[in-house]
Amino acid sequence: MKRTVYLRLRKRVRLPRGGPIRLRHVARLLADPELERMLYDRIVHRPGEEDGNLVLIDILRVVSVVREAAPQAEIESMGEPYSLVELVERRRAGHPVWFCLVWLLLFFGSGLAIMNFHEDVSMPAVHRRLAQLITGTDSEHPYALQIPYSLGIGLGMVLFFNHIFKKKINEEPSPLDVEMFKYDESVHQYVVTEEYRRLDARSEEKAQT
Amino acid sequence: MKEAALQAAAAFLGLAGGIAVGGGLVAFLIVLDVIPRLAQISGSQSRGPALEAAVVAGAVFWTCADFFGLRLRLPGALLLPAAGLLAGCFVGTVAAALTEVLNVFPILARRLRMEERLRWLLAAVVLGKVCGSLFEWLAFRTE
Repeated sequence: MKRTVYLRLRKRVRLPRGGPIRLRHVARLLADPELERMLYDRIVHRPGEEDGNLVLIDILRVVSVVREAAPQAEIESMGEPYSLVELVERRRAGHPVWFCLVWLLLFFGSGLAIMNFHEDVSMPAVHRRLAQLITGTDSEHPYALQIPYSLGIGLGMVLFFNHIFKKKINEEPSPLDVEMFKYDESVHQYVVTEEYRRLDARSEEKAQT
Repeated sequence: MKEAALQAAAAFLGLAGGIAVGGGLVAFLIVLDVIPRLAQISGSQSRGPALEAAVVAGAVFWTCADFFGLRLRLPGALLLPAAGLLAGCFVGTVAAALTEVLNVFPILARRLRMEERLRWLLAAVVLGKVCGSLFEWLAFRTE
């Protein structure tokens, strides 16, 4: 009876640099327990200098590794045809000073931007006119309108982004979460395409020599 | 006769301009997805047409009020802050939608490896907007 190995590659993996990439890092397997254990420990690729920090593990590479280890097994692959391994040099978050600088940049930048917007659309005049229309009396500085207006800008942004300060207003992902995801996906797509091109070029070179 | 023709031409011109501006306003809101977002937050996706009607009614009413000097003579102490807060909220959502369309945050957070601290960067933008706006009214535009 043939033994079947089911395998599913992980689309995206983060590994610390140094050390080989083993099958357990890039795939989920389903097979006989002892075969499974043996296969999980198999080395798929030893990253070298030329690999950079992104390594594409193709399904064909994985299949050849599994075949070598268990020639009689039948392989069923489901899911992604590749796994993109990102080798990280000890994950470090940005420096706190750096972060403070960016925070201040955004703080003053957005403040300036909203003031520019108000000047562009003559917001002071609009506010005066609006106060005049509502109350029927003229006022040079309708602070009763303008101060809540300013707070409202903040409230509106928080509403739009759904969560800030960890508290979610509801369970749905915010547009920013979705946007981050879409951006990551596009980058991922690009990298995978590039890596495939390099992979093909390398194997062609090998075939020629 | 000539007078009436001129009036008709002016009316036509006004109508054409109004259609262009109104269409522009709606297109702007649609591109930024502001209305669907607000519907989603308030759980009133099924009442989309009513929300659209609110935008149209608001635009038409305040245009008329402005052009014809329609003074409502309402108690300002109560209504002005409410109107201000709502107007601010609207501008805030539009501003937020605009930064999002431009993909500012995903790129910035990724480049600076600050994905976990993203909400603090967002807070910076929100606080910056509020403070900038308050500064404008209370300190900058006081002449």
